[in-house]
Amino acid sequence: MIRFENISKSFKNKEVIKDVSFTIEEEKLVAIIGESGCGKTTLLKMINCLIKPTSGNIYIKEENIKNIDEIKLRRKIGYVIQQTGLFPHMTVQENIEIIPKVLKHDEQDIAKNTINLMEMVGLDGAEFLNRYPTELSGGQQQRIGVARAFANDPEVILMDEPFSALDPITRSDLQDELVELHSKLKRTIVFVTHDMDEAIKIADMICIMKDGKILQYDTPENILKNPKDDYVSSFVGKKRIWSSPEFIKVSDIMSETPITASKEQTVLQCMDRMRHRKVDSLLIVSNKKLLGIVKAKKIRNIEDKSQPIKLFLEKDYITLSPNDTLLDALKIVNEQSKSTVPVVNEKNQLKGLITRSSLVTTLSQQFFDYEEDETI
Amino acid sequence: MTFFEYISKNYMQVLTLLIEHLKLTAISVGLAILIGVPLGILIAYSKNANKPILAAANIIQAIPSMALLGFMIPFLGIGKVPSIVAVVLYSLLPIIKNTYTGIESINPQTIEAAKGIGLTPMQILFKVKIPLALPVIMAGVRIASVTAVGLMTVAAYIGAGGLGYLVFSGIRTVNNNQILAGAIPACILALLVDFVLGAVEKLVTPISLQKGDNTEKKKKRSIQKIIILVATVLIAMAFIFTSFKGKVKEEKVLTVGAKDFTEQELLGNLVSDMIEGNTDIKVNRKFDLGGTQVIFTALQKGDIDMYVEYSGTAYTSILKHPPIGDLEEVNNVCQEEFMSKYNIETLKRMNFNNTYAPAVTHETAKKYKLETVSDFAKVASKMKSGTTYEFLNRDDGLPGMEKVYGFKMGSSIAIDSAPRYTALVNKEVDVIDAFTTDGLLMKFKLKILEDDKHFFPPYNPFPIIRTDRLEEYPEIVPVLEKLGDALTEEVMMELNYKVDELHQSPSKVSKEFLKKQGFIK
Repeated sequence: MIRFENISKSFKNKEVIKDVSFTIEEEKLVAIIGESGCGKTTLLKMINCLIKPTSGNIYIKEENIKNIDEIKLRRKIGYVIQQTGLFPHMTVQENIEIIPKVLKHDEQDIAKNTINLMEMVGLDGAEFLNRYPTELSGGQQQRIGVARAFANDPEVILMDEPFSALDPITRSDLQDELVELHSKLKRTIVFVTHDMDEAIKIADMICIMKDGKILQYDTPENILKNPKDDYVSSFVGKKRIWSSPEFIKVSDIMSETPITASKEQTVLQCMDRMRHRKVDSLLIVSNKKLLGIVKAKKIRNIEDKSQPIKLFLEKDYITLSPNDTLLDALKIVNEQSKSTVPVVNEKNQLKGLITRSSLVTTLSQQFFDYEEDETI
Repeated sequence: MTFFEYISKNYMQVLTLLIEHLKLTAISVGLAILIGVPLGILIAYSKNANKPILAAANIIQAIPSMALLGFMIPFLGIGKVPSIVAVVLYSLLPIIKNTYTGIESINPQTIEAAKGIGLTPMQILFKVKIPLALPVIMAGVRIASVTAVGLMTVAAYIGAGGLGYLVFSGIRTVNNNQILAGAIPACILALLVDFVLGAVEKLVTPISLQKGDNTEKKKKRSIQKIIILVATVLIAMAFIFTSFKGKVKEEKVLTVGAKDFTEQELLGNLVSDMIEGNTDIKVNRKFDLGGTQVIFTALQKGDIDMYVEYSGTAYTSILKHPPIGDLEEVNNVCQEEFMSKYNIETLKRMNFNNTYAPAVTHETAKKYKLETVSDFAKVASKMKSGTTYEFLNRDDGLPGMEKVYGFKMGSSIAIDSAPRYTALVNKEVDVIDAFTTDGLLMKFKLKILEDDKHFFPPYNPFPIIRTDRLEEYPEIVPVLEKLGDALTEEVMMELNYKVDELHQSPSKVSKEFLKKQGFIK
């Protein structure tokens, strides 16, 4: 949808954007995040030509925006900034209708559209349309700002820290509504913020910038789990992931090499293996497929220990999928009182094992900061 | 005569002048807005133009108004046009500055939002910038308008008309009622303009940016709208009223001028009344035209067609000859040189000599035993003179007198027109330059010192007229000669006295005299 190609920008010999290339997919909500001065707003304003790149090209739907008339381009792109973006001398209605009126759309269509937009942002038209921006709360102003951005049915919407001046509760409400609006209307939204919580909450993709360069452009999950370097991890915050446990997947915390045995092995062999590996259960597999579990205390009393183990398999076990979250794992372990939960994929192939102890180790990480390099 | 008596007698004149004043001010401020607002917008966009334009406007503002008005004459002559130009120039600074400030102080994020949602630069200017800057621009217009009302009063100095005419005329004739009749309406007008434009300012301020309760504000708005509507109707009526009058155009018109002192206005009236009473020519009267430089420039430029000049003034001040006492010689030279240098005809001289004469109070004369200027020369170093600007600087004035009589004034200041008489009787000065026919000499009972060395050149007045106009209206020559023969020194002093002391209007005095003489019906 929007493709940046080798974009650089200098202001008076100071390079603020350094050879940036990345693509924003259609219908995605992409958050550009970074400290102030990193170039995130500059990058955003290049999309609607408020700032022109020193070199490089930007394509929207594979059309170079240099070849599009600036005014026409901007009218097809919604633009939301902090509440000062509303015109103080115009009523809510005049603010929303300014571009459709300039384009001389049909009066009745405009009026109808305005009512729809007000409904969309959750404000009562009859009550608010004739008010002035100064008569609205910050949150209401911002809703109007969003309504105005959608007034001309744009394909792309640019939002420059739209919620940063709001109180935390209003901000959180508006973030929720934005996510809902986005999933309903399927527009491409580029959202600049300096708030990592906000980015993680709303974005499909996060683009982390520093000193005019993109450090990492990835899904929120990957950014949380695999920060590309120290800066990203410190910017994300090491403990950030604990505020979003849904991003911690079973595959991240399972033991990938559970102790297994073949179904043809004897009971004795299996007991030997358990003793040797200091475990009290074995996963019995065949062709990587999980067949069942055997527990030490169940087979210890078998007299004929030369029988194949496949005769003593326990079948009533619960499994997890690698894509299940930490929360799912904790629920099973707690509610079902299981000490070991095998992890299998959709083909019932064994991928790993979650144990009580591996959960404890994982959870304790948020209290004890195990630096990887220190443990080596 | 009290002030209220004066008003009740002259209310039509005051009203007409008030309307004229309002109209002139409205035109000036209107033009200033048309020039100033675009300039303010220009410098808000182009930082390069910012400094020179603001500097120029500041400099104009710093020029004393009188100097600016005087400066207009060589380029634009006298009357309404140069006055309006001067007032426009003065009004520019607050309008330019406020437009610039108003636009500059808009939140840049608002402008960026306007740009970002796809408004063109023109749409941003007209839909966002100007509406948001309008309250500040209007504040500038308000300041400019109030100043313009005041300045338009001063512009009467170069013949703008309006209420200033009464003020100047009153100062000249020491008629306080007349001064007040000009000054008080001018003051009220200024306050009214301020009030009405204040309402406009409020009205153009977006309701959201005003303090207070909105419903109350909406109620106030309707009142403000009524105020502005009434004011607009009044101004429109002023324009219709005056333009209606202006449309009555005579085919044969002659414009007669006069300088800004009583005798000149009397002569202007006498000449005009004689012409109108004895020919079918309509006279356009432009009296109150400052000093010699102002009126002579106006004559050269064709703003006026004729006026009555004094031979001595013409000879020394206009033609720059050293003063001489020979009346015939002066007359001949003037006639010749006016024709060759300026293409101006000199008509037959009038029958009186209004020369300069140093005047002192009888008290002073008695104290120092003063009879002649020679007596005065002995004590001059202890004296302070209060004379007109012209007398202070001209060769046939104080400098020449000092040379011929061999004295040096203790100190000297310049005071214009009639106030120097007041200064003399109030003992602020000891000697003034009087005119021998001056009615104020009678009024203040002053002692004239005899010019025993015949220093002062003859100041016999003669009408001077542009040659092309005289060729057009030769019938005025015998009419004016008849008038000139009848005007002796005694007659002039009496007529002057009636105006200066008895506060009769020059036009009334003129008509009465001419009727009594049987010159007009």
